[in-house]
Amino acid sequence: MHELSMADAIVKTAVDVAEKNDAQKITEITIEIGGLALLNPEQLKFMIEVLSENTLLEGAEVNVEEIPIEIKCESCNYEGPTGSEELDHYMPIVKCPECENVSIKIIKGRECNVKNIKIEKEDEDA
Amino acid sequence: MHKIAEVEIQHDIMAANKKLAKRNQRIFDKADVFTVDVLGAIGSGKTSLIENLIEKMDYKIGVIAGDVISRFDAGRFEKYNVPVVGLNTGKECHLDAHLVKHALGDLPLDDIEILFIENVGNLICPVDFDLGAHLRMVVISVSEGDDTVEKHPLIFKDADIVVINKVDIAKAVGADENKMFNDVKELNPDAVVIKSSLKTGEGLREIMDNIQKFME
Repeated sequence: MHELSMADAIVKTAVDVAEKNDAQKITEITIEIGGLALLNPEQLKFMIEVLSENTLLEGAEVNVEEIPIEIKCESCNYEGPTGSEELDHYMPIVKCPECENVSIKIIKGRECNVKNIKIEKEDEDA
Repeated sequence: MHKIAEVEIQHDIMAANKKLAKRNQRIFDKADVFTVDVLGAIGSGKTSLIENLIEKMDYKIGVIAGDVISRFDAGRFEKYNVPVVGLNTGKECHLDAHLVKHALGDLPLDDIEILFIENVGNLICPVDFDLGAHLRMVVISVSEGDDTVEKHPLIFKDADIVVINKVDIAKAVGADENKMFNDVKELNPDAVVIKSSLKTGEGLREIMDNIQKFME
């Protein structure tokens, strides 16, 4: 249940950037979560919505995109997707899809990024 | 008139913790303190293991005891007359590098050779939060069921030492400790996996020897 602390950091980041850009409102926020980050997208979305009340982020559309898992094999140097579509959270981190060696490093898929926000601001020419 | 603008942020929320963890490790290195993050399930024997290590290891030991709302574990360690800081995580399910940094100010680091950081009992949340420790030791026990490793692979993938505790009661709870051992080895061939029983003392010497090996 650390979605709460992650959501808190996400809201703070978005509001901070919005303020620096003189936004009046954030209309949309896009978050990227790695396929292996131990975060539940639905719970995270809910927490962001709750925590954004009375901030510039209130009412914004929350998009969550998944970052696919990528591994590097220490035996055959394969770098890329795990080759497993099934997300049983076990096989993807066990074997190299090329040589089946178990000495692999996870190089992508554990992130939690605030990718971008869409903001509304006063038109300076108006 | 309103203008709509898109602002690229690309801010990694995890990066803030990683940066703080690196800072913690620099503090440990400067004070020459070897630090062990002790993770594991609730009731697996993390506190008992640290108590045993305080008693039997020939080093000056300090402890940071993380807990959700109580100072139970910190109280247990204080009886051994070692420096202890209890860290209440409040609602949180894990320690993070920031909380650990706060605790460091209350510890006499110059007088500590090994610092054990007892994480909150949880096999999921602490995985994503590096604390800056030199060694990650995961403690599980047979009573959680012998499918524990399969169900929580990531924590074992990152571990340096995995302790499978309470093997003396494996038969009574219908768990196969060898299956657990093999599951860890399959996930993480580099991990040192030790079967132990803190009750009978089995495996304790091996745990101490291996911590010492990582210190060299």
